[in-house]
Amino acid sequence: MGRAVAIIGTGQTKHGRRNDVSYPELVREAVVAALNDAGISLRDIEGVVSGTMPSMMEGVSDTHLYFAEALGSVGKPVLKAETCGSTGQSIAHCGFYWVASGAADIILVVGSEKMFEGDGQATMTTVADPWFTKPFSAGAPMVFTMQSMEWIYRFGISEEKARDAAALISVSNHDNALENPYAHIHMKVTLDEVKNAMIITYPVRLLDVCPSSDGACAIIYASEEKARKICKKPAWIKGLGFRGEEFFYGESNKSIWPSATEAAKEAYRQAGIRDPLKELDVAEVYNPFTYQEMIFYECFGFCPRGEAPDYVLKGTFLKDGQLPCDPSGGTLCTNPIGATGLIRLAEAALQVTGKAGERQIEGARLALSHAMGGIDQFNGITIVGSEL
Amino acid sequence: MRRVAITQVAQSPGVESRDNLMDFTYRVNKELLDRAGMKREEVDCVVIGSSDIFHSGFSCANSLDWDGAGAFMIEGTRAEDSMFAFIYGCMRVMSGFFDTLLVTAIIKGSENPDYDTLTGFFADPFYLRPVGMNETAAAAFQMRQYMERYGITEEQCARVVEKNLGNALYNPYAHVKKRVSVDDVLASEVVCDPLRALMCAPKSDGVASVLLASEKRAKKLCEKPVWLSGYGCSMDHFNPGDRDLLNGQLPAAASKAYKMAGIKNPRKEIDVAEICEPYAFQELLWCEKLRFCGEGKGGRLIDSGLTRMDGALPVNPSGGVLAMNPYVSRGLYRIIEATLQIRGDAGEHQVDKKVKKALAHGTHGFAGQCHSVAILEG
Amino acid sequence: MAKEKPKEKPREIRTEVFVPYEVAVGPTWSTFFDYLKEERIMGTRCSKCKRIFVPPRTFCPRCFEEMEEWVQVADEGTIETWSYATLKFYAQIPEPPFITVQVRLDGCDTGFLHRIAGFDLKDFEKVNRRVKLGGRVKAVWRKKKEGNINDIDYFKPIK
Repeated sequence: MGRAVAIIGTGQTKHGRRNDVSYPELVREAVVAALNDAGISLRDIEGVVSGTMPSMMEGVSDTHLYFAEALGSVGKPVLKAETCGSTGQSIAHCGFYWVASGAADIILVVGSEKMFEGDGQATMTTVADPWFTKPFSAGAPMVFTMQSMEWIYRFGISEEKARDAAALISVSNHDNALENPYAHIHMKVTLDEVKNAMIITYPVRLLDVCPSSDGACAIIYASEEKARKICKKPAWIKGLGFRGEEFFYGESNKSIWPSATEAAKEAYRQAGIRDPLKELDVAEVYNPFTYQEMIFYECFGFCPRGEAPDYVLKGTFLKDGQLPCDPSGGTLCTNPIGATGLIRLAEAALQVTGKAGERQIEGARLALSHAMGGIDQFNGITIVGSEL
Repeated sequence: MRRVAITQVAQSPGVESRDNLMDFTYRVNKELLDRAGMKREEVDCVVIGSSDIFHSGFSCANSLDWDGAGAFMIEGTRAEDSMFAFIYGCMRVMSGFFDTLLVTAIIKGSENPDYDTLTGFFADPFYLRPVGMNETAAAAFQMRQYMERYGITEEQCARVVEKNLGNALYNPYAHVKKRVSVDDVLASEVVCDPLRALMCAPKSDGVASVLLASEKRAKKLCEKPVWLSGYGCSMDHFNPGDRDLLNGQLPAAASKAYKMAGIKNPRKEIDVAEICEPYAFQELLWCEKLRFCGEGKGGRLIDSGLTRMDGALPVNPSGGVLAMNPYVSRGLYRIIEATLQIRGDAGEHQVDKKVKKALAHGTHGFAGQCHSVAILEG
Repeated sequence: MAKEKPKEKPREIRTEVFVPYEVAVGPTWSTFFDYLKEERIMGTRCSKCKRIFVPPRTFCPRCFEEMEEWVQVADEGTIETWSYATLKFYAQIPEPPFITVQVRLDGCDTGFLHRIAGFDLKDFEKVNRRVKLGGRVKAVWRKKKEGNINDIDYFKPIK
C-alpha cells in the first residue's frame, strides 16, 4: 500500500519559557535544526504541514498564515492539520500520507506551541461544550483524574499501589529528562516528594502533572528513493493509526479506552507486531499525567488490563527494563502541546537511528510514538523502525 | 498515484440553521451516506475541514465535529480549511490506504461575530493588529491598487455582484437571494473605501460534504464519478507589505493544477469555474491569475459577458461566495458546485453547455495569502 | 538574524482577545432543558442499539440514526467516577473547592456529568470518606428554574 516513507531529519527547539524569541522565530529554530539534521536546504522541501493547539492558546488564529516565512513555506503548498492534544501525531500522519500518495517526495512537518503567551487551561475549557460539560470542568487535570479514578475502581487496584507506581513514573521521567538537552524540566525528584506534593485534583499531585512549555519540533519525510539517496540511516514508518470516540466523555468506557486500544491495534496490524512488549524496543507514550500513562500501557497491550502498576513497580518500563518508556523524559517534563505528539515521533526516530545521545536505548530498532487529544477523545500512534 | 473520484455530494443551505453545530453537521452527512447507500462504519476514513476556536467558539473543533461527521472509531483527522481537507482527503485515497473517504466542512457563521473581527486575529499582535489589519482592509488595499494600475472601474466590480447574485436566485442553497443592479451596488454604503457593502460577501452557515473513492470503488458507488485531475496550492508572505498584492501565489497554484491535468489553454479547456470571491473585484483579479484573460483585462472580461451563466466560460454559476460565505466551508462548496455542473445535476443553475472540465478555487488570508486550485473532470 | 542586539532584554507586550458567540442549543437539548424545569430528567433512546442517552442526542453517534423516542430516567444513580478540584484558573466556571462527578443515572446507558455538593467541601479527608466510587447520589433541584443544566443544583450522596 502506498510508497514507503522515511524520516530523514528531525529538529527540536530548547523547550521551556522562550520569551527570548517571538513565536515565528521559535518555529524557525525547529525548521533550521531539522534541515541541518537532514543535510538538505529549504529548496528541497516540496510542501509543508503545520499544526498547533487551537489559536486561543496564543491569541493568533490560522497560524500557518503568520508562520509562512518561518515554516519556509512561501511559494509552496501547505496543509494544516489539528486535532487538539493529538495534533503532533495528526500532522505526522498528514506528512506521511502526502509522501505515500506520490504527490511529493520531501515534506516538512512542523508542530509548535507557545504556552506561556496565553492561558492553557482557559483554552481547555473552550474544548468543552457550554451546555453540559463546561459548567463542571476544571481543565485537563479534572478529566484525567476522573479517568484514573474510574480505572482504579474498575480493576480493583489499591489506591496505594497506584500511588506508588505513579510516583515511580514521575521519578523516572524526571531522571530521564536530565539526559535530554531539549527537555523543559531538568529537576531531580524523589518518590516522597511526588507523593507529598500539592494536590491538584486528588489523587493527582503537582509532580504527577506535565508543565506548560514553549517549543517547536520539525521532522522531514522522504520517499524511499530520496531517503536512500539523502540519508545514511533513515527511520522508516512501519504503521500508523488514529481513532476517536464520542464527544461526550460519559459515553465511552475510559478505563479501557477504546480509541487508544484501537489506534494501537491498527498501527500494530500495519507494522506486523503481535506482541508489543517483546517486539517494541522503546515507546514514547504521551503522558501528561502519571496515572494516565498506566492506562496507556494497558491499552497498547504492554501488559494485561489492571496490571500496569505491577509492571511499573517491577521496572518493566524503566530505561533498563524490558520496554523502556519515555527515555526522553516524556510529556511529563516537556509539553508544548501542538509540538508534543511530534516530539514523541522525533524521539522515536532518534532512537531507531541511534542518534538519541545520552538517552539512547542501546540497539533500539522498533519504536512506538503516541499522542492523545480532546477530552480523552482521540489517540494517534506512529511506529518507526530502523529497517524498511 | 491512484485516481480519486467524487462519488456523492451534499450541502446545507447558507441561511441560519436552528440546529446546534453537532446536529447541523449530522443532517448533511446522513443525507450524503443515505444517498451513497452506505453505513457510517463502511466509510474508511473521515477528514473534517473546520476552524479552531475563532470561527466556532470551540477549541479543538474536531472534538465537537467528530460525531456529526460519523467518525466514531474510524480513521480520521481534521484540517483547518475545507480546501486543505479536500486535498488532504484526496492524498489519503491516493496513498492506497483508504478506498472510501468522507470530507466534510463545517461552520455556523450565524453564531460568530463579524468575520472581520475574526480575520483580524490572523494578524500578528505586534505590527498588523494594532493598526487594524483584517481581510476587508487588506482587500481594500488590493482593490485600490487594482483600479489604479489597470483602470478597472467600480462599475465593472459591481457587475460581478449583479451577475453572481443573479445566478444565486436559481441556487436553492444560496444564502443571499436578491436581484441587485450595478446602481444598487454603487449606491450601497462604503465599508472600507473603495469597497462598498454589496461588494463584500455575507456571513453564512454551511456544512458541505463529499464522498471520495478510489477508482475501484467509485464505479460501484455511483453512475457518474467526477475525477480529480489536478490540484495546486501555494502560500504567500504573511505581511501584505512584503508582496505585490496584484501578483500573488494564485498563478503558482494554478500552474501546478493545470500541469497535472494537462491543461495548456485554461480559457478554452475549462468549461466552468467556481471561484472564491469574498470581494467582488477579486473575481476579476483571480480570473486574470487563472489565465482566463490577459493581465489587467479582468474588467473587460466581465463586460464581455464571457463569464455569465450563458457565456463561453461561466464563472460562479452557484452565485459564488458573494451569495453565500460559510468561511471555512466555502472552498468545498466550490468543489461541490463544480461536481454538480459536470454531472449535469445543478438543476435550475445548470450552465447551458456540456461541462467536461471544471475548476474550483479557494483562498484564505489577507488579500489571498493562500490559494488552492482543483481541476475536476467528468 | 540581524547582528544588532536589543538595548534591553527582549520584551513582552500584553494583548487581549475577546470574542462573543451566540451558540444554538438546538431542538433536542432545548426540549431536555424544558423537561428539567419540570424536574424530569429525560433521555433519548436509539432505535437500533437501544441505548438511552443523557444528555439526549438527536442522533446516535455509533448507529448514525435519528433518535425519536424520549424516555424518563431516574434522578438518582451510581457514582462512576469523581474528581475533587481545588484549583481555579481564568474562565473556569465552578468555584473551588468543588466535586465533579459522573453519575450513571438509573435507567440510563451513559455517564452524566454534574457536581456533588450540599455539605462542607473544604476538608478533603471528610469528602473522601463521604464520596465513594460506586456510591449512590440523588439530584437536588433548584427552586428557581432557568431551563439549563443548573436547574439540577447538585447531586447529594444518599445511603
